[in-house]
Amino acid sequence: MALSTHTTTSGFLLPSIHSAPPFFTQQPHPTSLSIATDQWIQIILKYARHRRLFTIRVQDAETPGNVWDEILRNERINRKLLPSYLSYIFTQMVSRKVAAYDPPKQDRSILIYWRLPEEWAEVLYEWVSSTANMNTIMTFYEITDPPIESPLSALPIPLLRQAIAILAKSNRAQIIAIAEGEGVRFFPTTIKA
Amino acid sequence: MGGNQSMPKVTAQDRAILDLKLQRDKVKQYQKNLQAILDREEAIAKQHLSAGHKDRALVALRRRKYQQGLLLKTDGQLENLQQLVSTIEFSLVEVSVLHGLKQGNEVLKEIHKEMNVESVERLLEETAEAREYQREIDEMLANNLSLDEEDAVQAELRELQAAVLGEQPSDDVRLPSAPTSEPVAQPEEEEKEVVTDTARTAVPA
Repeated sequence: MALSTHTTTSGFLLPSIHSAPPFFTQQPHPTSLSIATDQWIQIILKYARHRRLFTIRVQDAETPGNVWDEILRNERINRKLLPSYLSYIFTQMVSRKVAAYDPPKQDRSILIYWRLPEEWAEVLYEWVSSTANMNTIMTFYEITDPPIESPLSALPIPLLRQAIAILAKSNRAQIIAIAEGEGVRFFPTTIKA
Repeated sequence: MGGNQSMPKVTAQDRAILDLKLQRDKVKQYQKNLQAILDREEAIAKQHLSAGHKDRALVALRRRKYQQGLLLKTDGQLENLQQLVSTIEFSLVEVSVLHGLKQGNEVLKEIHKEMNVESVERLLEETAEAREYQREIDEMLANNLSLDEEDAVQAELRELQAAVLGEQPSDDVRLPSAPTSEPVAQPEEEEKEVVTDTARTAVPA
């Protein structure tokens, strides 16, 4: 049987292994399981990057009609990823630090780090610098929902907080909190001779 | 790099600005909501029309009109908020500029205290006096020398002059004389030779 790649309607190229029925079953043999899980994690990360999705839930495997359908289901071979396997994949992703349980202390939904928080911190700092918002007080809403599309649009707030915390460690950001809500101010780095 | 030196403290003005910006965000979100409601009301009106309920469509359109008015009003409020935020930020900049000017002024005053006009004048006078004095001393020393050994020095100078001038040809330096006739053009044969010579030289590839 010839396996082939397939391009989805959203323009995402699925690897040929995605056309193999056994790929959707949690393999008993540890080696094949680890290989298959690696492939699944790669696919999930790439798709999240492609469609700018930040969260995935076990529920997405249980019920169709959500954004992850193109990945979790393959109608052509009549297979879908079972929720139990997806849950196992989540644990693997979290242990490899490419995802985190969000909200914490549960295991049904994760926040995907298709870009690590450190990288997000740099992207955030660059964007603030290029939009001339240094030394001005900004609200979280301003950052995640700017009037002009930015690489940070629709960034989930927990990820934004992590990025700000990383910048605060290097003295490039400062969180300001008042009763109504929170804001953040970014500082240019002064090169000390 | 030590501690929190690079991050200024959060002042009450910062908090006020943040408050205003949060309000502005709320207004923006409210506007988004309104816009969504407007679109939905329009869809409902169309539905009713296609089903033939003209009166219900009218009601939906009236609701929509009212909400459009609300949207315009919130636009105005948003503008007010934005203006207030910009004014506050600008006045903060002005305050820091004023502060900078004041500090610069202070520094200048301090420098002027050390360097007032009278002391500068006095210094210049003293320098001039000292220079005069030095010149007198030089003259005296020069005088001493000439009284004792002026004749011997003059004799030495004459001898040196004679030695130097004796090597040169006597009298003036001879310059070449200017030509008295027009220059004659070279004969053409020579020119042709030159031309053919250049024609024959091959240029290496």
